Amino acid sequence: MQPTPVIEVDDFTMTFGDKTVIDGLTFDVRPGETFGLLGSNGSGKTTTIRALLGIYTPTAGRLLVQGRPYDPAVHGGLSYLPEERGLYKKETVIDVMTYFGQLKGLPRAQASAWSLHFLERVDLASHARTRLDKLSGGQQQKVQLGVTVMANPEILILDEPTKGFDPVNRRLLLDIIEDHQRAGATVVMVTHQMEEVERLCDRVLLLKDGRAEAYGTVTEVQEHYGGRMIRLTYAGVLPTSSAYVIETNEKNYAELSLTSDADAQVVLRQLLDAGVTVRSFEAGLASMEEVFLRIYGADAAKEA
Amino acid sequence: MADTTRRPGAWHNLGTVIAFEVRRTLKRRSFWAMTLAVPALMLAISALVIFSNGSAMKSVDASQRQQVPFTYTDASGLIDPTIAAKSGGTPTSDADAARAAVVAGKADLFIAYPADPSKQTIEVAGRDKGIAQPMDYAGIARSVLLASAKEKVSDAKLAGVLTGTPRVHELTYADGRVAPGVASVILPGAFLVLFYLAIIMLGNQMLNITVEEKENRVTEMILTTIQPTTLILGKLLALVVVGLVQTLVLIGPMLVLPGLIMTLLGANLPSSADLPPDALPSMADLASAINPPAIAVGALLFLGAFLMFTGLLVSIGAIMPTAKDAGSAFGTIVIALFLPFYAMGILMADPHGVASQVLTFFPLTSPVTAMVRNATGTLYPWETAVTLVLIYGFAALFLALGVRLFRTGSISYNAKLDIRKVFSSRRC
Repeated sequence: MQPTPVIEVDDFTMTFGDKTVIDGLTFDVRPGETFGLLGSNGSGKTTTIRALLGIYTPTAGRLLVQGRPYDPAVHGGLSYLPEERGLYKKETVIDVMTYFGQLKGLPRAQASAWSLHFLERVDLASHARTRLDKLSGGQQQKVQLGVTVMANPEILILDEPTKGFDPVNRRLLLDIIEDHQRAGATVVMVTHQMEEVERLCDRVLLLKDGRAEAYGTVTEVQEHYGGRMIRLTYAGVLPTSSAYVIETNEKNYAELSLTSDADAQVVLRQLLDAGVTVRSFEAGLASMEEVFLRIYGADAAKEA
Repeated sequence: MADTTRRPGAWHNLGTVIAFEVRRTLKRRSFWAMTLAVPALMLAISALVIFSNGSAMKSVDASQRQQVPFTYTDASGLIDPTIAAKSGGTPTSDADAARAAVVAGKADLFIAYPADPSKQTIEVAGRDKGIAQPMDYAGIARSVLLASAKEKVSDAKLAGVLTGTPRVHELTYADGRVAPGVASVILPGAFLVLFYLAIIMLGNQMLNITVEEKENRVTEMILTTIQPTTLILGKLLALVVVGLVQTLVLIGPMLVLPGLIMTLLGANLPSSADLPPDALPSMADLASAINPPAIAVGALLFLGAFLMFTGLLVSIGAIMPTAKDAGSAFGTIVIALFLPFYAMGILMADPHGVASQVLTFFPLTSPVTAMVRNATGTLYPWETAVTLVLIYGFAALFLALGVRLFRTGSISYNAKLDIRKVFSSRRC
């Protein structure tokens, strides 16, 4: 029996003037899972999140959090990191964090103590009394993340959480998200970073032109949209075969997409028989990036 | 997982917002600079005025103490030579020569009393001593004449009446009671002044209630944490607290500083015993000037006007992308609000005419017009009722609109909000 979804979106439609941004979207997010909401720019991801959180009023459909429309007064355990980042820039880091902690239900002293602890973790303790507008963009992002994850939220909605982070801070951020996953939080991530999806997400929804193009576990989506792949480094000339399609072939590296009934071991034998020297050979599912490229095309990938 | 679904109540969040907003406003240097600028300016001007007045009074006293020698001719025969001599006067028979001496700068003053000073003009020719040392030559001429005339009247009481200023205590009556007169306007009218000060000092902060969240891109974070109504109400109440602080800062020096400055400068404050009895209102006059219904209506009008104006500015702030854009709309609103001041003559002369009625019932001009008419006692009870309903109705409407626009408009970060979009989608 499926657990009751934490988030339910049912036949959601959103129009702005004459333009339909979301058209009859339906999906759910289950307790404790990490759900990836993916899509090219303008596909309606942020609109869906905003409608779910009551910032936009949907044109049609139902969007429920824990069984009812989102209400900050009721859903105290939900935290949101929006795509448009910003805090009260003229105030000090600790004042802003404490304020949001209080709004999330923490006593002032506890909110302040939690904030200082978080700032130490992200190497910003010395900036606790610094005004936000005196921090770098990356440092402000860390503070914003702290505000989002404080008070141990049950549901975390993160819209492009790693946007603007350098690799070191990106790793730190992903670690923090994983901490909350382990603590049982339900995480919804909007992202363009497919390696983050593979690392963190249980299920994904790929939006295209306001509709669900792909929806399921990461493996299901990879199997359905990417299929099985062989990645190899080699010397020689790859032969043509009905067992695979050459997706990439450059500098002695190739990615082969297997046809539905092809066997990887048979393909390896064919290559060796054709005189190809195989230096490395890996058989597996298509990466999420490959899935993304197949669904949205190269242009969308460039945008992402 | 720990029980983390804490649901802070609306009151908790309201208190948190108020405390945060008040604290950060009071921590701002610019706030104190602006707030202290007014009393500091008042202090400087008061000190300057009192200092100047003190110097001027000393100068006048000195010039008055210094006797000015003068010559005079007396065609009336009223001038007592002894009195004139005590004031420095010397009679002369050659008016032309005496006048010429003054013109030539050889004498200070010549006075020619005519045959009938009650009907004819007294000629005074004096040497100019510049603006810095003004001389009351006419006063010398008058005082010598009056003192001489008093000497000729044997009845001391009659002499006193003729030379003094009779004291008068005036009372007017309305509905069988002493009418309070102008004093009755003061207390209900104070709310008008209060409203004016509130707009001047808090207007920009009202506008920033919603603009700030938008400019800082903090709207989505905040709107998913607390209800917009709680946020806006909290900010509004914080504004009231800040306004009270500003008022205290403003009024404190006004109460204390004048006395302090006078003491420091050694200036003499007039004692009430020195004033004529009708210069100060009696306790009975003051009591009759207190009109509780008018004061209550004034207070209600002020509160309603404050809420309506705030609601309007919150709505404007939610529509406009930046404080700069919102500022131009703010100016227009302020002009409309204070338009009745320009029509004050009409409101006084014809308070029940068409123009007054239009200004009374048009929402933007209604608060100030109604407060003026309430203070001057020309607002009928039915007009009071309609105006209050109108102002509070529009206050509720604007505040509700402000919340709605804030919810949607404050994430239109870079562009002016299209209001049609706000009302074109329905809530499921």
